Amino acid sequence: MRIAVCRPQVPFAYGGAEIFTDTLVAELRSRDHEAEIVSVPFKWYPGTRVLTQAFTWRLLDLTESDGRPIDMVVATKFPSYVVRHPEKRVWLVHQFRQAYELDRTDLGQFGESPEDRALRRKVQDLDRISLGEASRLFATSGNVAGRLERSTGLVAEVLPHPAQALAYHDEGHGAFILSVNRLDRAKRVDLLIEAAALEPSLEVVVVGEGPDRDRLERLARDGGAAGRIRFTGRVDADELARLYATCFASYYAPVDEDFGLGPYESFLSGKPVVTATDAGGPLDVVHDGSTGRVVAPEAAAVASAAVWLRDHPDDAIAYGRAGKAIAASVTWDNAIGRLLS
Amino acid sequence: MKVAIFTPIPPERSGIADYSSLLLPALRDRCDVVVVGRGAKKPPRGTGLSVYHIGNNPEAHGWIVEALRRTPGLVVLHDFVLHHLVAGLTIGRRDGHGYLDAMEREGGVVGRLLGHAVLDKRIPPLWENRPQHFHLAGEVLGLATGLIVHSHHVHDRARAAGYEGPIWIVPHPAFPVPAGPAVHVAGEPLFGTFGNVNASKRVPQLLAAFARVRLENAATGLLLVGATSPGFDLERRLQRLGLDGAGLVREGFVDEQRLWGLMKACDVHVSLRSPTMGETSGTAIRALALGKPLVVSDVGWFAELPADVALKVPVDDDEVETLTAALGLLASRPDVRAAMGAAALDLARRDHDLEHVADLYVAAFELAAGGGAVSDAVLREVSRAAAEVGIDPGSDEASIVATCLGEVELGG
Repeated sequence: MRIAVCRPQVPFAYGGAEIFTDTLVAELRSRDHEAEIVSVPFKWYPGTRVLTQAFTWRLLDLTESDGRPIDMVVATKFPSYVVRHPEKRVWLVHQFRQAYELDRTDLGQFGESPEDRALRRKVQDLDRISLGEASRLFATSGNVAGRLERSTGLVAEVLPHPAQALAYHDEGHGAFILSVNRLDRAKRVDLLIEAAALEPSLEVVVVGEGPDRDRLERLARDGGAAGRIRFTGRVDADELARLYATCFASYYAPVDEDFGLGPYESFLSGKPVVTATDAGGPLDVVHDGSTGRVVAPEAAAVASAAVWLRDHPDDAIAYGRAGKAIAASVTWDNAIGRLLS
Repeated sequence: MKVAIFTPIPPERSGIADYSSLLLPALRDRCDVVVVGRGAKKPPRGTGLSVYHIGNNPEAHGWIVEALRRTPGLVVLHDFVLHHLVAGLTIGRRDGHGYLDAMEREGGVVGRLLGHAVLDKRIPPLWENRPQHFHLAGEVLGLATGLIVHSHHVHDRARAAGYEGPIWIVPHPAFPVPAGPAVHVAGEPLFGTFGNVNASKRVPQLLAAFARVRLENAATGLLLVGATSPGFDLERRLQRLGLDGAGLVREGFVDEQRLWGLMKACDVHVSLRSPTMGETSGTAIRALALGKPLVVSDVGWFAELPADVALKVPVDDDEVETLTAALGLLASRPDVRAAMGAAALDLARRDHDLEHVADLYVAAFELAAGGGAVSDAVLREVSRAAAEVGIDPGSDEASIVATCLGEVELGG
């Protein structure tokens, strides 16, 4: 089958969606499909540029290439699903969140003028129309599917995608809690830092880089926890697998995350996860008292949950095993089988 | 953005006044809403959008049409057929020429001639016996910068009448069911029909069908609630059908509290209509909120009800037979009644939920206020880009671009 995987490209940016789509293409090719990334640059400002840039996708003709038909397109995130194709599958990573739950927040884009309010509605209408055309509609998490249904009435099947390939293993119940995430405010690593400041026996390893790193390191110093919190920056795949293998649990509690690969990586290493009640996507698989701890997004609650897992190794190991069973069922074979069926 | 809403509100007694009093608190939670007092001719200063609730009653809506004439805006079209409203605004104010002009706008010379015949009293008033043939919505449609309607039926009729502006279909909100017991009314099961008792509510057909059903099931009851329209001889019909003794319970106009009590008592609600003026039935919406199965005429908004909620009776030569079969089925199958009732409740909670309806209203307000500017900006940018690469406005390529814009509703 010839499959075009559609993704928007923000020039000079490469993140989770790009890794996901590149991996999808590689996995499709490994199953004897002809697969290719189709990408169009995306700039969502100023004003109506968000619509005109999205409309660019509509003008593409992806029905065939070089005289041979393209059997299917798989669109991923806004606005790639505006593309027209008789066999359009959407595996939704996220919509244009500024038009939905981020509206009227610090991360919003649209002001209060009649034009801005209407522009936001037009983006929603564009979603409703173009996603409504899909022959199959999948979402990477229950959170993404829920947002979609609330905003457009469209129902998507939840189809998580597998974690990155690492040499996952388990070296037993360790002494520290691990955070693996980009260091920006929305990832809420500061809650874990504050938890360590509240609980003098808690040891933390923070993996990742990002614009919030300086603030987080300052927070650790000011809270008197600098000696117990190690910031590693980016690490290579082997080191990441070793850190997962030697922690007692991981922490992953962004605000209203779309999907969240962190819990899957942690589970594949046999380690439970501490998350927050408002974390979004992770709540599909992190269940309190089953695969981890789900607590209020407060430092004291995070500290308490982390210490409890550290001090109850039998429970932590059982939670990690339960999580591993969930994560192990999320395979590319299953995902591609459903995507193409 | 301040939104000025021109609407009748209680203590005025009308379905649209009840509608607005239900909806306004939910709208106030979402935007800056000002209700314009009866008789006002202009929206208050600083208004960003004027919204006009238009129905067919000239006493309730005449002043709103006059305000719309001064300041065009978004129209909530509760009825599509506005003949009675227009007659009230013209003939009712000794403006026969206005009525003739309205008839000519819609029906050409033939319409004008018919209008003359009405003014000369050579034929009965058209708004009483043939309003569906001359909707007279043209002036209101011409002034509306956008429409909110409650059904695809009205949407399609507006388009058929040549309306090209934006239209938003927003379901009628469900009324909250008040506490209180059902009134005890005999009948096993009990059918009920609510509203004015007349021919357009298909009461003759309902009585005929019910009489047949009762031959098979003597325990069945029919509750008939509402004022009898002038000229409709109910008593004689009941005598002729043998329904004047038992089986039928008659109530005239009732207040809201008793209305709900009587509606709760019914096992099946019958809501028939023909001709339709494009209206949505407030009593049918109440029945949905109560989780009652419905029997409706297969016309207008009623025809859009899902099949698992309502049995639909075509208005044709077999109407009484079909209606008899529908009533007979529901009389003999409590399991069907229960399943339909559950589906009705689901529908009310899903599509007619007040908060959901208010969200749709605000979306329409925002698009009505700023959507034109957004569309213009998009078209300007796309056309500039096309021109820069030599695509002429009349070319095939431009046509493709226009088609694509239309597909995703960015075409203005």
